[in-house]
Amino acid sequence: MLCLDKINKYYNPGTVNEMCLFEDYSLTVEEGEFVSIVGSNGSGKTSMLNIICGSIGVDSGRILIDGRDITHMPEYKRAGFIGRVYQNPALGTCPDMTILENMSLADTKGKAFDLRRGTDKERISYYQELLSGLGLGLENKLSVKVGSLSGGQRQAMALLMSTMTDIDFLILDEHTAALDPKTADLIMELTDKLVREKKLTTLMVTHNLRYAADYGDRLIMMHEGKNVLDLKGEEKKHTGVEELLSKFNEISIECGN
Amino acid sequence: MSTIILGIFEEGLVYAILSFGIYITYSILDFPDLSVDGTYPLGAAVTAAIIAAGLDPLITLPVSFLAGALAGICTGLIHVKLRVRDLLSGIIVSTGLYSINLRIAGKSNLPIFSKDSIFSNPVVNGIFTEGLSQISKLSILLLIVIVLKLLLDAYMNTRSGYLLRACGSNRSLVISLAKNDGFVKIVGLALANGFAAFAGCIMAQKQGYFELSMGTGMMVIGLANVIIGTQLFGRLSLMKSTTAVILGAIIYRACVAIAINAGLEAGDMKLITAVLFLVIIAVGNLKKAKLKASHS
Amino acid sequence: MKKMTGLTNRERRGTEDRRSRRALLVIAAALMALSLVGCGSSSEENSSAGASAAQTTAAQTSGAEGEEANAADEETEAMAEASEGSYSIGIGQFAEHGSLDNCREGFLLGLAEEGIVEGENLTIDYDNANSDGSIAAQIMQSYVGSDMDLICAIATPMAQAAYAVTRDTDMPVIYTAVTDPAAAELVKSDGSNVGNITGTSDKLPVEEQLQMIRAILPEAKVLGIMYTTSEANSEASVAEYKELAPEYGFEIYETGIGSQADIPIAADSMIKDVDCITMITDNTVVASLPIILDKASAAGLPVFGSEVEQVKKGCIAAMGLDYIELGKQTGRMAAKVLKGEAKAAELPYELIEGASFYGNSTAAEELGIELPGSYTEGGEVFDSISE
Repeated sequence: MLCLDKINKYYNPGTVNEMCLFEDYSLTVEEGEFVSIVGSNGSGKTSMLNIICGSIGVDSGRILIDGRDITHMPEYKRAGFIGRVYQNPALGTCPDMTILENMSLADTKGKAFDLRRGTDKERISYYQELLSGLGLGLENKLSVKVGSLSGGQRQAMALLMSTMTDIDFLILDEHTAALDPKTADLIMELTDKLVREKKLTTLMVTHNLRYAADYGDRLIMMHEGKNVLDLKGEEKKHTGVEELLSKFNEISIECGN
Repeated sequence: MSTIILGIFEEGLVYAILSFGIYITYSILDFPDLSVDGTYPLGAAVTAAIIAAGLDPLITLPVSFLAGALAGICTGLIHVKLRVRDLLSGIIVSTGLYSINLRIAGKSNLPIFSKDSIFSNPVVNGIFTEGLSQISKLSILLLIVIVLKLLLDAYMNTRSGYLLRACGSNRSLVISLAKNDGFVKIVGLALANGFAAFAGCIMAQKQGYFELSMGTGMMVIGLANVIIGTQLFGRLSLMKSTTAVILGAIIYRACVAIAINAGLEAGDMKLITAVLFLVIIAVGNLKKAKLKASHS
Repeated sequence: MKKMTGLTNRERRGTEDRRSRRALLVIAAALMALSLVGCGSSSEENSSAGASAAQTTAAQTSGAEGEEANAADEETEAMAEASEGSYSIGIGQFAEHGSLDNCREGFLLGLAEEGIVEGENLTIDYDNANSDGSIAAQIMQSYVGSDMDLICAIATPMAQAAYAVTRDTDMPVIYTAVTDPAAAELVKSDGSNVGNITGTSDKLPVEEQLQMIRAILPEAKVLGIMYTTSEANSEASVAEYKELAPEYGFEIYETGIGSQADIPIAADSMIKDVDCITMITDNTVVASLPIILDKASAAGLPVFGSEVEQVKKGCIAAMGLDYIELGKQTGRMAAKVLKGEAKAAELPYELIEGASFYGNSTAAEELGIELPGSYTEGGEVFDSISE
């Protein structure tokens, strides 16, 4: 269970440009929940992910995971139990290394990065099995450098790599935004499959209202650092894209755009 | 004539060791590390001091590597913990090492001509008798460089090596793997400066003396070797980058030898190196830009 | 391009073919550079083609070198046959520097005295390393490679580089301007030769200098010396001054500097605490002599030089080495080796014979100091300050 407790976050505190991002923001995500988060630009949805992952700090408030306070834990340590896929496909893989090497890297997460062989030959068939699950034919290109793959292929790999070891949370940061619509659909389906299979607690920020409506079992719409909509269970199931769109337009008009 | 070619190979091989270090920082870690200007003579100072004290020259090999690694760790800590910019961290360490090197060697020029070295000792002299003595240095250097190359290649294929490679091209991935990217950088800098100091150690024994100013411009020489090697041979997928770097070092030495034999003034060498650099890098970049343009 | 030694302007027939070889090599180097460029811009297949082009270039070069080497061999054989042969010498100089240039000039004069004249029966290949140790080694290698009859190495690092390269060969090396050959391990500690290498030392006549300063300034107590901590020769000189100074009632004030940039501040702080300054043959400090003279004369302090060039520039006096003489002495040694009268391995290294007095009457007058007649009579006095 993830719990954000009365988070306060200001940008440029003490200057004329001071901007309040969150004021006493609280959020609880139950284990196994798949939460889709939508919201206007500057609503704080990506900042919230950054706060959870530790990429940015908070001014006050606590971040708890299963009751454990991780507010002051450095980003790389949190990565031990949080998997993250970024909007930019280049950030989730190492372009200068081969597919096999990238898979091996992800497989070593949580173990010691010592002087043992980087690739365990006995695991290769397992990697191929995982890759073939993507349906992109990557299992036959193990020695190809990831830098020469397309954005969609890389993002699929990033998704696979971030969920390969046991994690408590999966954080998806607009991970389909940089892809063409067809590839985005493919990645989204893949995401859903992985999340269901591994029963991952997932937070997904997206700009795509259709994905928010179709996937996940909870939907949050954010605006100016607050949740303006928080639908769960049956309520969420009965909410369509049109309803979301009208609600979204409402807040956008308030904003003046 | 054969002496010149022999000289090119000998010198080239010593600088190849230095270039392994630059290859780690520049090509893999993407960290412009200027500390090598201090760690290369550090290795030489440590070596000269050990040999002058009458100890076994073999001791110099691990000790100089460790001394260099320690200096590299300093550069890393200054950069990572104190948040000093990469170039500055290197400048700080190489500046400080100037005084430390002087302290270690005791004076600015410490000759060890009269002592045993890894190139000249009863064992080596016993193997390379009369007719073979000419190639004794080359053989020993070749052995050292090949062993180092294989070790480096092997390291790059370990889990730790994987992480180092990932750190240079994608810092976020290292964090995603729950590893501290700063720590990985420090490891890389330690290795790189270990190689630089090791090169200084070999050079001091080859030339027979430590000279305080011998580190000046080493970063540039190493960089030239790496860039020439990787640009010339890097695209040949069958060849490992480390092999390309060795060839680059030998080719660069050959260029220097040709320039000197052609009567170019030593003072002009730097300008020629600079222009050569610029052309190789610029052409490489323009080609990349072209590739990108044709892709989109 | 390559500087020929500035002494003679006679026709140098012997160097003609050497020059054309150089032209060829410049082209080869250019080709090599071009091939590198070609690779940068070409695709994979082309880059391997580029690499082989580079190899071809190298091969051509070695071909040219090979011919040269053969020519040199023939030359050597010819020399052995004819009693009046012609000789080739590679002169490697560590840095561009007045004293070192004088050494080189004197070296050629010394050879000429023995009938070995550049352009007639002597070919000179001169290179300057511009204080770069890695270049120094390369220069020496090229001399050994082109089978010179003898190598002349000017200044300590060059001599060490020459020794390192020639240790395994029988190429004779004559060095000069090496302050302490024993400290540089160019001779054994008992003064015997380490190999086929010998030469001359430019050890400063410290004792004579102290005597002279005492004669000119009977009241002076503190003598200031500035030196570069990275120059081994300078450290040795300072140590000797410190050892001998008490005998003449002086106290030494030493200031070590790291680089040329430190000189103005170091000079300012030294000038407040000393009665006079003496120069040593420190390359960095000597190069900045004008700054020191300027500051010292503003404070009314006399500055003593360490060799004749410094006196010409405005030091009031020096018991100095005549580097031309040192060079000549070296040249005569080289001639003995070339003619086969002695082997470098058997000739002991030589110190310069005697120091001579140099004074600058204009500089002395400006400070109201009189140069004692006992010195001026036997020495050389300049009456102007050259810029």
